Amino acid sequence: MSMFTYAGIVLGVMVAVYIAAKFLRLSTELGMLAAALGGGLVGGFGLPARHIAEGAMTYLDIILIFITATLFMNILKESGGIAFVVRGILVRFHRSRALLMVLLTVLLLLPGALTGAGSVTVLITGGMVAIVLETMGISKVRTAAIVFIVAGLSAAAPPVSLWAMMTAAGVNMPYIGFFLPLLVPCVVASLIAIFLLGWSREQIDLETALKELPRAPEGMSWLKVILPFVVFVLLVAIGRRWPHSTPVIGLPLMFLCAAGTSFVLSPLRLEFLQISRETIAQLLPLIGTLTCVGVLVQIMTLTGVRGLLAVTAVTLPVTLVFATLFFVLPVSEAVLMWGAAPVLGVPLVLLFNTMGLNPIVALAGMSVIWPLGDSLPPTAIIGRLTVEVVGYRDSYGRFLKSCALPAVVIMIIGTLMVVFSSRLSFLTGL
Amino acid sequence: MMADRNDSDVGSRLPLVRKLVLSSLGVLLLATSGVSFYRHRHLEETVVLSPGVTEVKRLSDYFDGVRGTINDCNLYFLEGQEPGATMLVMGGTHPEEPGGRLAAWLFAENAVMEQGRLIVVLSANRSATTVTRLGGAYPTDFVIPTDWGEQAFRMGDRWSNPLDQWPDPEVYIHDPSGQNLAYVDIRNLNRAWPGRPNGTLTERTTYALMELIRRERVDIVIDLHEAELQYPVISTIVAHDRGEELAAFVSMMLSDEEFNIGMEYSPKNLHGLSHREVGDYSDAVPLEFEAPEPFLDATRGRTTREQLLTGQDEFVMKAGEHGLLFERIDEHGWPIDVRVGRHTSAVLQTMESWTILNPDRPLSCRGVPRYAEVIEQGLGHWLHDPSQAPPGRVVIE
Repeated sequence: MSMFTYAGIVLGVMVAVYIAAKFLRLSTELGMLAAALGGGLVGGFGLPARHIAEGAMTYLDIILIFITATLFMNILKESGGIAFVVRGILVRFHRSRALLMVLLTVLLLLPGALTGAGSVTVLITGGMVAIVLETMGISKVRTAAIVFIVAGLSAAAPPVSLWAMMTAAGVNMPYIGFFLPLLVPCVVASLIAIFLLGWSREQIDLETALKELPRAPEGMSWLKVILPFVVFVLLVAIGRRWPHSTPVIGLPLMFLCAAGTSFVLSPLRLEFLQISRETIAQLLPLIGTLTCVGVLVQIMTLTGVRGLLAVTAVTLPVTLVFATLFFVLPVSEAVLMWGAAPVLGVPLVLLFNTMGLNPIVALAGMSVIWPLGDSLPPTAIIGRLTVEVVGYRDSYGRFLKSCALPAVVIMIIGTLMVVFSSRLSFLTGL
Repeated sequence: MMADRNDSDVGSRLPLVRKLVLSSLGVLLLATSGVSFYRHRHLEETVVLSPGVTEVKRLSDYFDGVRGTINDCNLYFLEGQEPGATMLVMGGTHPEEPGGRLAAWLFAENAVMEQGRLIVVLSANRSATTVTRLGGAYPTDFVIPTDWGEQAFRMGDRWSNPLDQWPDPEVYIHDPSGQNLAYVDIRNLNRAWPGRPNGTLTERTTYALMELIRRERVDIVIDLHEAELQYPVISTIVAHDRGEELAAFVSMMLSDEEFNIGMEYSPKNLHGLSHREVGDYSDAVPLEFEAPEPFLDATRGRTTREQLLTGQDEFVMKAGEHGLLFERIDEHGWPIDVRVGRHTSAVLQTMESWTILNPDRPLSCRGVPRYAEVIEQGLGHWLHDPSQAPPGRVVIE
């Protein structure tokens, strides 16, 4: 049996098992796990315990970041810090809607740009910004769409863009020259997204807005809100400024330090263990998804299904590759998350390189499109996280529809960057 | 009432039963996978010392900062019968590239230096030999058939084991260049040169290797690698500025007499790699040899031991048909014998070419098979039976 037939059969079985699992009303996570186990069995590997365990650990670091960042945000929220900030921003800038929107965009872009994770943006500033956006008269669904789109772009924004870094590492290309090719489209697309979804001539009714917002506890101050962030930013900055004189503590511990600071400064008495338990309960579905995606990718790689998908993608006619990037990249992200970068990014960048395109700009263009997939099933990690943090309870399909317009803009920007990467090579500064 | 109580009992027992079943499955998964991970980390690889090995030292003999760590690897010294230059051959920089390790193994088990001195490293990043790539579905080990049975080797990864070095920073800033690299590359030995004495385990390892190079006045450093066929730096020698003449000479001789191999210059703005930093921070001439390994290609099919050792892969061939590869591939693949043979010949040819260019500091070696011999007899023919070795001549790697 040829490898194509074999991998095709395994892929078919995995898809069938996944559909059957969904039909039996199993969760997406269990569906993916079942698909992986089915693939292993049909592929002749039995129930490969080591691969299941190894795959489950693939995203351990990201899971730890999620947990600690969410704990930090939850402590800040419980201490009344978020309510304090939202009220403060509204009071100060409610007269200029445009300026407020630009400021909120910056607030959303920063955490993801620094950490490379859109989830961190959603968790750190997403909830806060969402409240301000709603008080500006923007519907909950559009608010969720703004937070999701800008959070995704923040993850692609420099200095840390995991898609670009992982793909660059895969082709042994140094991660240099990416700053402007990533920054320009991310900032432009973010501003387009927030103004497309949030612009109106409606004045903000400050009095009503303040009435709707929860009151900040007595004793809360800007210093107490900002200090935990300062601790976090300082730890990142110290690691950047003196990387070789300070120990590597990792993002999870940095977030824990920020959480600890927030806890100590809280004017209210907080139940740390209770907040921790709630944080884990809140994130359990997300952790489950990441764990099962890891297992799925491992089994896909083991059985050659990953190779089948990759070789199919890169052997399509070049015009078709260009024309389908807007679709293939988000879908690969939806299935593989960051795994899409080594699976698809590496062969695509090599393909573009052999075609004489600028690999840095082309990769930057792809990196802008990839995060859109974080709203799509089966994983929909950031999308689900966003609707949860924003508190949007209506249909997920409506949320996706709200994302459509800015998503099309981003797809066009990213695709044009790939196609015209050679002409845009001046952005690299190399 | 009774019926109600029974229903209630069943209702309260069900979640408990489910929890027990799931916990048992979890424990079973933990135990079976744990055994596999333990065996991988503790698989003992034997090295039957060549008669030419005059001393086996440890890396910590050159820098105490790696003493007691998993990266305190063995250093095999082969002192020549006549004086000459000193060459260091390193395998295991990236243990997911077994051709490099196995080629170095053939030197440790067979080489006898006639002129000059050879130092062999089989596990430059020993930590990375104890882990496989998350999501990569690598086998934990592979077996080479020999004349006396089979010899097992650990399959490894490109990066140090997170059990030995963790966590990673959010971005890896290389020292001393300050260049930003992917965060995970802080555990990549070939992005950590020239190392730091108080750095991470990986950086301390390269620092220790630099100390070895400096203190033993090594003239040539050869770093053995393999590469995916979609990677442009393949079937080639990457040379530091000071090694360009030597690399060009070796490339010309090998391409003329044995197999095609190119030559490339080490980029000056790409930091952390042996072919750049060893040359910049010591007097040695660093060369990096790259052989093809389809197992590393992102488009590969089934991830199996067979694919690792035969290099046969329909999907990679398909990518080749579309002009996406930088090296040819057909149904014969890239067998491990071919890959190892390329490396042994390249090292031996480097010795010969060096001697022609530097007759006052010669290097010559016997006992190690060249390309054609490795393919003809299989690399296992050159691996020796530890049970038949003289006392004290077997080392665990």
